[in-house]
Amino acid sequence: MIKIAGLTKTFPSGARALAGVDLEVKPGEILALLGPNGAGKTTAVRVLTTLCGFDSGHVAVAGHDIDVEPEKVRQAIGYVAQETGVDYFLTGRENLTLQGQLYRMTKADILARSAELGEYFDLTTQLDQLVSTYSGGMRRKLDIATALIHRPKVLFLDEPTLGLDAPSRQSLWQYVRRLNTDLGLTILLTTHYLDEADKLAHRVAIIDNGKIQVIDTPDALKDTIKGDAIILEVADTQTIPKLQYVLANMADVQDIRIDGPHVHVYVAQGATMIPRLVDATRASGAEIKYLTFARPTLDDVFLRYTGSSMTRKKDGSEPNAWWKQWAGKGGGKWQKQWQQDQTATETAAAPPPEAPWQRWQNQGDTSDGAPSAANSGTWPQQEAWRDAQTSVPDEARQKAWPESQHWQSDEGGPKTKASWKQTGKPGPHTKD
Amino acid sequence: MLFDTWHLFKKYLRISLRMPMWTIFGLIQPLLWLLIFSALFGGFASMPGFPAASYIDYFLPGVVVMTVLFGSSWSGVSLLRELTAGTVARMLVSPISRTAVVLSRVLHSAFLVLLQVIIVLLTALPLGAHITTQISFILAGLTAVVLLGVAFASISNGLAIMLQREEPLVMIGNLMTLPLMFFSTAMVPQQFMPSWLQYAAMFNPVEYGVQAARAALQANPDAGVFWPAAGITALFAIAATAWAVSAFKALRD
Ligand SMILES: Nc1ncnc2c1ncn2[C@@H]1O[C@H](COP(=O)(O)OP(=O)(O)O)[C@@H](O)[C@H]1O
Ligand SMILES: [Mg+2]
Repeated sequence: MIKIAGLTKTFPSGARALAGVDLEVKPGEILALLGPNGAGKTTAVRVLTTLCGFDSGHVAVAGHDIDVEPEKVRQAIGYVAQETGVDYFLTGRENLTLQGQLYRMTKADILARSAELGEYFDLTTQLDQLVSTYSGGMRRKLDIATALIHRPKVLFLDEPTLGLDAPSRQSLWQYVRRLNTDLGLTILLTTHYLDEADKLAHRVAIIDNGKIQVIDTPDALKDTIKGDAIILEVADTQTIPKLQYVLANMADVQDIRIDGPHVHVYVAQGATMIPRLVDATRASGAEIKYLTFARPTLDDVFLRYTGSSMTRKKDGSEPNAWWKQWAGKGGGKWQKQWQQDQTATETAAAPPPEAPWQRWQNQGDTSDGAPSAANSGTWPQQEAWRDAQTSVPDEARQKAWPESQHWQSDEGGPKTKASWKQTGKPGPHTKD
Repeated sequence: MLFDTWHLFKKYLRISLRMPMWTIFGLIQPLLWLLIFSALFGGFASMPGFPAASYIDYFLPGVVVMTVLFGSSWSGVSLLRELTAGTVARMLVSPISRTAVVLSRVLHSAFLVLLQVIIVLLTALPLGAHITTQISFILAGLTAVVLLGVAFASISNGLAIMLQREEPLVMIGNLMTLPLMFFSTAMVPQQFMPSWLQYAAMFNPVEYGVQAARAALQANPDAGVFWPAAGITALFAIAATAWAVSAFKALRD
């Protein structure tokens, strides 16, 4: 139903939103694009819905090449944006009617279809009220109804439950499932909620940094992480590198991922491992604040494929931040300076190896900048990592060491944040 | 495309009619100017060579153009709101003509401005202003008003797309309006203007709107002045609309 090959897109501002996306969505499937803010989800959906151009690659939706026959694609798809697309100052019915008119449907058809959709989404009694009186959940339902007015074959939902309360979310999930089973709609939804992808989608594609990192059914993804996950939260992040070194040398430990103060340890048999782990942790001088023991979740999968935990990965770049638009247009000098600062920080962020255990440290911490080889596969990657290190000039490393400590302890913030702190420049403010 | 434009135009009109306050607020400023200037410069008319019987007679077409400028520069602001609200994306995923999106906004804005102008004219009459009683000239004058409204609504929409931000858009709108008014014969007859201002006015598109409105609406209409001035205003409107449409089509980053 949707075929994407080698899709890339760089915004005029220089932001590389899509870095070679390959993806196929089968007819009748619900596919979730799961990724943190700024991963490129919205951009991907906007390309697929003909709202935004792209640099290279091939995209076909419902059998039509998006470049050759955008009109046919538009006729075949429905799109619910991240923001509400319904007009607050019109009633629900007026919104539906207008959308039907834009698809050039006949009056009678629009009338019938509006009634049908109103009933389907339990909006019949509110259909003639202004949308500004609707609750968030109702608005979202009307939004989906509006997108379906012309009976599309493919539905795109961009973060459908963002900002909804728990009951509305649950109810919306029901609707999405029903749309898929009752009408056979192919649905591509984006989300940064793990549970949403897990519960709703037939297949999940994890997207990060404009690339699909892995794609499979939720269960198969969870199976790639074998055994149990034990998560230790340590009191002092300074003790992590040594702890990591100690754990890595323990028998039966399959994999270790570091994510801020959390050490994820993957083992075959959690129950028998816990006492040994606790002893080993004490021996290494680290203090455990919490210990969680669980079957791997999609979060573990996410951590494995992207190098940082989904739940802790924070928004570093507000897509619509106004200063970006200015920085991209004309504000050239300022923008360049900022980029320089940023690359300088990124290069400098790698700490010099001081003790053997410190070499491991980088694995969890430079998730964004480090070559992906450092994030996947099994132990040990020491050699590869050391090679990557030598490209950093000694001087830069020396200078940067204390500062990289700084951002490391920073609460999971991506590097942009740190670069502001380090350069001490007054900069654009992301909301945090 | 015409149907698309019509449906969207109806939508915008419906929204405006639900909030008539905005249209009424927009009238306050032109009416204030009309009162203040007529009181301030009432004596102007007795100067030798003044082309009208009273200052208010002379100034009324100027106020009409002012109403157009103030009224139509909001169109871009509401486009930005619609872009962030996501309703524009809603339109653009449908097979609707992209030109229709701009056209409907611009026509809607010009239509509101037309209503405002009619109210301004009706208010001015009891204040002692004289306008032509020939229906054909009144219609001609209102056509010039609509053309100018289309032009400035287009510029406002085009600027909105270029700037992508509300604050600079409003700022530029304000910065633009007053000089355009002063660099024209809206308030002061040509022979009272310094020659450099007269020269500058020649390149001011608003000047031709003022000329067309005045030639048609004044007590003794002058078709000889109206046609060329209205022609230039029409060209200006077409060029501005074409620019806004192309800016909007390029929006697809
Ligand atoms: N209009 C735009 N102009 C410039 N950069 C943009 C624009 N939209 C998105 N980006 C950038 O592209 C990247 C991906 O953004 P987006 O697709 O919105 O991510 P997501 O939807 O996954 O949060 C981000 O780095 C963002 O800053
Ligand atoms: Mg998004």
